[in-house]
Amino acid sequence: MNTEKIITLENVVKRFKVGDGEFTALKDINLNFDKGEFAGLVGPSGSGKTTLLNIIGSLDSPTEGTATVMGKSISELSHKESALLRNHHIGFIFQVYNLLPVYTVYENVEFALLLQNHSAEERKKAVMDALDWVGIADMANKKPAKLSGGEGQRVAIARAMVKKPQILLADEPTANLDAENAHAILQTMKSLNKELDTTFLFSTHDEKVMKYMDRIIHLRDGSVEKDEIINSKSSSK
Amino acid sequence: MNQALRLAYRNLVGAGLRTWLNVGVLSFTFVLILFYNGLIDGWNKQAKRDSIAWEIGQGQIIHKDYDPLDPFTILDGHGNINTIKGNVSPVLVQQSTIYPEGRSISTLLKGVSTNQSITQLPTGLLLNTDANIPALIGKNMSNKSGLKEGDEVLIRWRDSEGTFDATNITIVGIFESTVPTIDAGQIYIPIEKLWELTGLENHASYFIVGEGYEHKEIQDWEFNSQSSLLETLDAMIETKKASGTIMYLLLMAIALLAIFDTQVLSIFRRQKEIGTYIALGMTRGEVIRLFTVEGFMYSVLAVILGSIYGIPLLWFLAKNGIPYPVEQVQDFGVPISDTMYPVFSLGLIAGTLLLVVVSATIVSYLPARKISKMNPVDAIKGKLQ
Repeated sequence: MNTEKIITLENVVKRFKVGDGEFTALKDINLNFDKGEFAGLVGPSGSGKTTLLNIIGSLDSPTEGTATVMGKSISELSHKESALLRNHHIGFIFQVYNLLPVYTVYENVEFALLLQNHSAEERKKAVMDALDWVGIADMANKKPAKLSGGEGQRVAIARAMVKKPQILLADEPTANLDAENAHAILQTMKSLNKELDTTFLFSTHDEKVMKYMDRIIHLRDGSVEKDEIINSKSSSK
Repeated sequence: MNQALRLAYRNLVGAGLRTWLNVGVLSFTFVLILFYNGLIDGWNKQAKRDSIAWEIGQGQIIHKDYDPLDPFTILDGHGNINTIKGNVSPVLVQQSTIYPEGRSISTLLKGVSTNQSITQLPTGLLLNTDANIPALIGKNMSNKSGLKEGDEVLIRWRDSEGTFDATNITIVGIFESTVPTIDAGQIYIPIEKLWELTGLENHASYFIVGEGYEHKEIQDWEFNSQSSLLETLDAMIETKKASGTIMYLLLMAIALLAIFDTQVLSIFRRQKEIGTYIALGMTRGEVIRLFTVEGFMYSVLAVILGSIYGIPLLWFLAKNGIPYPVEQVQDFGVPISDTMYPVFSLGLIAGTLLLVVVSATIVSYLPARKISKMNPVDAIKGKLQ
């Protein structure tokens, strides 16, 4: 079992300005995630799930405390270093897929590799492999507007996975999917987690999703309410 | 940059009609600027060519007391021509008045050498005629005075002593020239006849210089080179060009506003896309570069599109010319042909191309700077900022 700490959150606090006052989205969060975990952040809207994912994804930084991802303190990273971290080590899957509308499925998936300056040959192989993983290789030339919700989310997974990141952050990935598609997507993620040993971190409040998790962290009002280990592969804080 | 070019190209092609509308407007502006400047340059060249052929020659040697722009210098502004040798043609200028059909018209009476070949003025018509005092006038002068070939008209002038005298002259030829300054209000007679009429034997106000003439300092005479004589014409054409610039700057502004508007809207409408770029690992600088390159590519596509329809169109116009209503613009005082041939030099094309590309890139960069202030988290959510 691999116990390499890939994400460490120590006393993380996040406050946002709201009008003249402040809103505390995260309160003193202490969590560790090991490589290869399949974990979910669970809680109602406003519990701080997305904020936590954004900090781990270096899209945002904590107001207090330390968030260390891949050995790098998020607060200390410059814009360029954050971009580099995301580019090479972090994949994102969004609730509404956020596919680039003017690109084809192939180009959407290829995008991440373009940023890494891979050769055309390498890109083609990696993109087709990624599309194969998620079972939509035959849709490579379609535009996102022609895809169903399930297909769109598969493209988003392929785009996130094509660069084989160490961490994959998924913000409510099944929120816009029916039960059948949600199941298929989660099965795909689960198999990728096993195959590539990628750390998956979900935010969700979907009960159906939780049964796939090896670890469930319950958040409420910005604090960790409960950290449940379902499968022994995951470690607790 | 390669990556930004590739992505920008994909974005523009993917945006479809919106891209082609902007590109269409910008390409139209590009072609119009080229056309307008080409027309002015063509006019400039034709005006200079005709001025040289009809009036200036290779330069002029002007008597020190004569100023072509000051009529008060005409009376005393002349000197003996024997001091000047070489390929030159003397012109003596005197003031006169003609009386066609009872009207009086003030004119410049010019004595010219009948065998000169330095200018295209058809002075040969003044030879081989039975007329006592044969005279040439231009078409414009003919229209204004009502004089036609074969007409006789009374002319009055002052001789060297200041005494008024009068006689009839016969119009033996009417020439047609694009140079208004040799036509309006002017009458040409053999210089020998003017010497007789005025008593200014062997005198001239100025000389028109031909090919091969080498000037040496001559007392009382000043040499004016061809280029210095064309300066006024240059200045006049530059003024016309400047006033025309306002028109194409307005057009340019409309085209650039369309791009600016598209890019500003893009920043808001494509917020999610920008957030996604950043989430996928693009730096803010790379996103700004992408948007700026998109603007740059608008101009490149506009140049390509403009070339597709502009090259054949402008080539056709340059070859066949554009008919011009000369009568309506005679008062410009600049030589204008009834057919204008635009000239599109490499410098003009390169300059216009650079103007369009640089302007489009700048107006794209300005809104793109906003991206650097955008919070990626809010951008992903598509929250307006």
